[in-house]
Amino acid sequence: MSTSATVGAAAADSPAPRQARSAAQAWRRLTRQPATLFGLLVVVALVVCAVFAPLIAPYAPEATDFDAAMSGPTAAHPLGTDDLGRDLLSQLIFGARTALLVAGGSVLVAMLIGVPLGLLLGYKGGWYDRLGARGLDIADALPGLTVGFVVIAVLGRGILVLILAIGLIFCMNFARLTRAITLGERKKLYVESARVSGLTHRQVIFGQVLPNLAGPLAVQGAVFLGSAIKVEAALSFLGLGLGEDQPSWGGMLGVAAEHQADHPWMAIAPGVAIVLTVLAFNLLGDGINDALSGRRRTPYRRTRLMGRAVPQRGEQDPTLDSVPAQESASAADADTLLDVRDLRIVADKPDGSSVVLVDGVSLSVRRGEIMGLLGESGSGKSMLAKAILGLLPAGVRVDSGSVTLDGRTLTGCTENELRSVRGTGLGAVFQNPQANLSPVHTVGRQLVDVIRAHGTTSTKQARARAAELLELVGVDDVGRRLDQYPYQFSGGMAQRVAIAIALAGEPDLLILDEATSALDVTTQSQVLDLVLDLRERLDMGIINITHDLGVAAETCDRVAVLFRGDLLEVDEVHTLFDHPSHPYTAALLAAHPTADHDVDRLPTIPDDLVVDGALTGK
Amino acid sequence: MGKLVAYRLAFAVPQLIIISIVVFSLTYLVPGSPAAAMLGTAATPESIAQVEAQLGLDRPPVERFVEWFGALLTGDLGTSFRSGTPVADMLVERVPATLSIVFGGMLVALLIGVGAGVFTGTRPGTPADRIVTGGTVLGLAIPEFWLGLILTTVFAVQLGWIPIIAWTPLTEDPLGWAVGIILPSIALGLTGGAIIARQTRAAMVTSMASPFTDTLTAAGVPRRVQVMRYGVKNSLVPVLASAGVTFAILIGVSFVVEKVFALPGLGTLMLSSVISQDFAVVQGVVMVTAVLVIAVNLLLDIGYGLINPQARPQ
Amino acid sequence: MTDTQPLLDVRDLRVDYDVAGAASWRRRTLTVVKGISFDIAPGETYGLVGESGSGKSTTGRAILRLAETSGGSIRFDGQDLADLPRETPLSYRRDVQAIYQDPAASLNPRHRVGRAVTETLARHGTRGAEARRRAVEAFDQVGLGEEYLDRFPSQMSGGQLQRVAIARALVLDPRLVICDEAVSALDLSTQSQIINLLRDLQEARGMSYLFITHDLGVVRHISHRVGVLRRGELVEQGRTGELFDDPRDEYTRSLLAASPAAHPAGREQRRALRQAARRAAAPAA
Repeated sequence: MSTSATVGAAAADSPAPRQARSAAQAWRRLTRQPATLFGLLVVVALVVCAVFAPLIAPYAPEATDFDAAMSGPTAAHPLGTDDLGRDLLSQLIFGARTALLVAGGSVLVAMLIGVPLGLLLGYKGGWYDRLGARGLDIADALPGLTVGFVVIAVLGRGILVLILAIGLIFCMNFARLTRAITLGERKKLYVESARVSGLTHRQVIFGQVLPNLAGPLAVQGAVFLGSAIKVEAALSFLGLGLGEDQPSWGGMLGVAAEHQADHPWMAIAPGVAIVLTVLAFNLLGDGINDALSGRRRTPYRRTRLMGRAVPQRGEQDPTLDSVPAQESASAADADTLLDVRDLRIVADKPDGSSVVLVDGVSLSVRRGEIMGLLGESGSGKSMLAKAILGLLPAGVRVDSGSVTLDGRTLTGCTENELRSVRGTGLGAVFQNPQANLSPVHTVGRQLVDVIRAHGTTSTKQARARAAELLELVGVDDVGRRLDQYPYQFSGGMAQRVAIAIALAGEPDLLILDEATSALDVTTQSQVLDLVLDLRERLDMGIINITHDLGVAAETCDRVAVLFRGDLLEVDEVHTLFDHPSHPYTAALLAAHPTADHDVDRLPTIPDDLVVDGALTGK
Repeated sequence: MGKLVAYRLAFAVPQLIIISIVVFSLTYLVPGSPAAAMLGTAATPESIAQVEAQLGLDRPPVERFVEWFGALLTGDLGTSFRSGTPVADMLVERVPATLSIVFGGMLVALLIGVGAGVFTGTRPGTPADRIVTGGTVLGLAIPEFWLGLILTTVFAVQLGWIPIIAWTPLTEDPLGWAVGIILPSIALGLTGGAIIARQTRAAMVTSMASPFTDTLTAAGVPRRVQVMRYGVKNSLVPVLASAGVTFAILIGVSFVVEKVFALPGLGTLMLSSVISQDFAVVQGVVMVTAVLVIAVNLLLDIGYGLINPQARPQ
Repeated sequence: MTDTQPLLDVRDLRVDYDVAGAASWRRRTLTVVKGISFDIAPGETYGLVGESGSGKSTTGRAILRLAETSGGSIRFDGQDLADLPRETPLSYRRDVQAIYQDPAASLNPRHRVGRAVTETLARHGTRGAEARRRAVEAFDQVGLGEEYLDRFPSQMSGGQLQRVAIARALVLDPRLVICDEAVSALDLSTQSQIINLLRDLQEARGMSYLFITHDLGVVRHISHRVGVLRRGELVEQGRTGELFDDPRDEYTRSLLAASPAAHPAGREQRRALRQAARRAAAPAA
């Protein structure tokens, strides 16, 4: 329910963050970002001010000079003076000392109380944790400043009370953060395996949990240093902080407020000082966060256009002896629904080079045919599907080649043009059943939204059609189910709903991207049978992407075998299983353990078939 | 749904009780005695004992707590040590001003925060995102009371658009009230808006990157619908959570901002009571604050249950 | 084989699981394992097969003492686990090891992979140069060169990481290894290599495996005996060949029928059979 509002909560700005592996690497990353560098410099400048204040400030902060009272900025007093003639610039510089002292002290207090508490709650778990979590929730009912007021009311004023008060305000946040991380780490698999190897609790805490805590604590600490300064300023502004004679920015603002009408300029300098300081700490915190997690802020690219339609031959992979396979049958059939020609998909890396994900693949799918796309991870099969749908992620694009659906070229289309094809020409079902549906909308709502995107305007009609679709995919008790949420559906049922969504626009081609891989064996079998039924009833072309040879054997008419972006062979399914033309396919078939016959030792894919990640055509 | 409300209320009760215990024990935490603090230099052992008896400070703690809590439930929060007026009356007089600017501030914060958050969350990494996000980072660094100071100086003192002493109760003059709370609401809302904007942005980016957007896109649902209906609703829970946190923060900050705008709210009352160690009043203000925060969080929890079906008790 | 005592003897094992509802002071207990009994002989591989929610992983965790049992007994080498102290003694940790599904998640991403092995050794009394020597040896036995000791998990493939996990499990010379979906997350090509590796190691060292998986094909290749779990109950168990060729339980039969076949031949008939079974099961249509 309660969140700790950490700076740096912003999610993915760029793909694939990598954990910083050493302090040196983290430091390099830290200083590379301009904003963070700025923050760091300001903080350093502040520390210098604070430490060398007596040397830097032109006057002693409490030195009065009644003759020059309330002067505006003059040569002698660049920032002016207050009502007692004290130099404001000097007060500002000494105020830095106060700010850092109070901020540092209070964050330290907060950590000393909060971190052990959080560790205890998170690691012990059970009753301790339940009670403790409730305790944290109760503490939430009191806003920070109110706690500060109360502590000062009880203990009086002074710098130590201030430090304690502000520390108490933030200690719960540290406790919460520590607890969350400890709970998370405790559940991690490598912590469990360490325990199985015999590591003690103490070793787990010091070896695994604390190192993972250091980073977030540093980030949170930096942010709270800024917040502490704001709180100190507020309390001093009200006169609850330090004594009159101790310079603080908040106190200066308090004086400025009294003279608001005739000397409005007095409020500027201390305010700017506070803003700059807090900003610096926040930027530093953000920077530490990014440096530790390896997130980089790369420019945003949304792939709207799909590259050139004119096919271009890329260079051949020199380690490849065999020629990439193409379809033996003639390409342009009257029955051809989807025609992919020499499709080449690349991913652009930040340093300017590109990695080839799919290298010149050609295949076609006929109406009413189920084409299997068989390959292991890294084969490019998913990228191929995404390219057909126009759903390539940022940084990945079609470099050359074309995709044609029913005579209409998809490559090179704009987003709007593609949208008219999606749903009516193409449909897709992805791997993870629960993730495919919005968890906070009913199934009926999602179906209706999709149906209405294709023309039906009346909600009543759309709902009726939604009911039809659910029946078509084999969902029982349709009326009740339409108003249920995805979490109330089992994996297989949720996947049926996803299929219904894909069918809503009556597509000619359905793409199943590992659609049954996350399902249990019995459920998988049911869903695959459903797909076979639908193919018969609706005469759709279907692309079934899978890594499972068994799935390909049971459902596909033809199978295309992919390996590291290359199409190795395309065959009618019986031919593929009986007489595979590529050695990789043969090895794959031989290595596949199945339930219906036993083999003494599984043949493996010979090591010399794959050299340096590429195939030798042996 | 009724079950959800009942559960949350059931939890709120022990929460309030524990807070009241903590609040009540404040008087026991003071080094020395509050009576001595009140009497100051005039304190002699006899006068201290006299004042203590007067205030009932010499009776056993548990008995005092029960009596105090009982009185609390009937709306009697004791009497101020200093002035002798019933605390409840003082609070009632002051709550409207505080509530006005806190809710005004929340309104501003939500408008700015959700607007900026959805805007930036749907186009992360673009120049527009950088600029607005930079604005929120800056907004987080600005002290609210300083902003209020600047605002009054510019708009009230220099430009005269808004009267300097601007508070008018709602019941007296709605328009005057609205004008009076504009500046304090902006002062409070800008920083609150920054907090909400950052949370909203993060939530939107996560939602729009979820796999179900692929399903919707592949099915031909236009992006606008995806953002406004699916993106926003999936982000609502973290956004509301940040709103709850912001509300609690704003109440605390409003106490400070009041001084800038010379508003007759709980803040100025709290300030004087802290200085004079008038614990009866301090306790009263803390209880009212806690009740407000708990009430708002209760509403939020009901909101979560409405939005996210899995958050409801089964 | 003269010793009649099984290495692992599970009798009427029952494991409950606390499910926290939305309001976390209301806890429901779910019985995940409902009284199962099986045993594993030394040098034998027992395959525990089931779909999600069958309780197979929980059984493995109970044997590893990572989950508390609420009934029945687990005896290892005659010793009842319930009689062991709460903080599991090192000797048990040496004798019973585990390999998990996600090799990357089972290794600390911040540590070099060699450390996973040397830390384990250190815990059991071997440190320094001797530890490193044994780590190199362990890596060699799983087919990894010495240079891999100093690599980070992010620099290695899934198959290689699983070999590291096996090396870590083996370096203490355990007698029983719990393999929890140990090959399920691997590519087909890697899967067969790891399966062969596990079999070779078993032949060389004589340890037992409890092989937990949902994949019937894999379990057929590696197990001597198989047990089929359904919703916490052991519906059938027996020698692998017999169970697969002639399943007696209805559920086992349906599981086998649903498993995708090795070859497209005969698929029309299989589909027709499934359709018929479905129609028979739901006459009100």
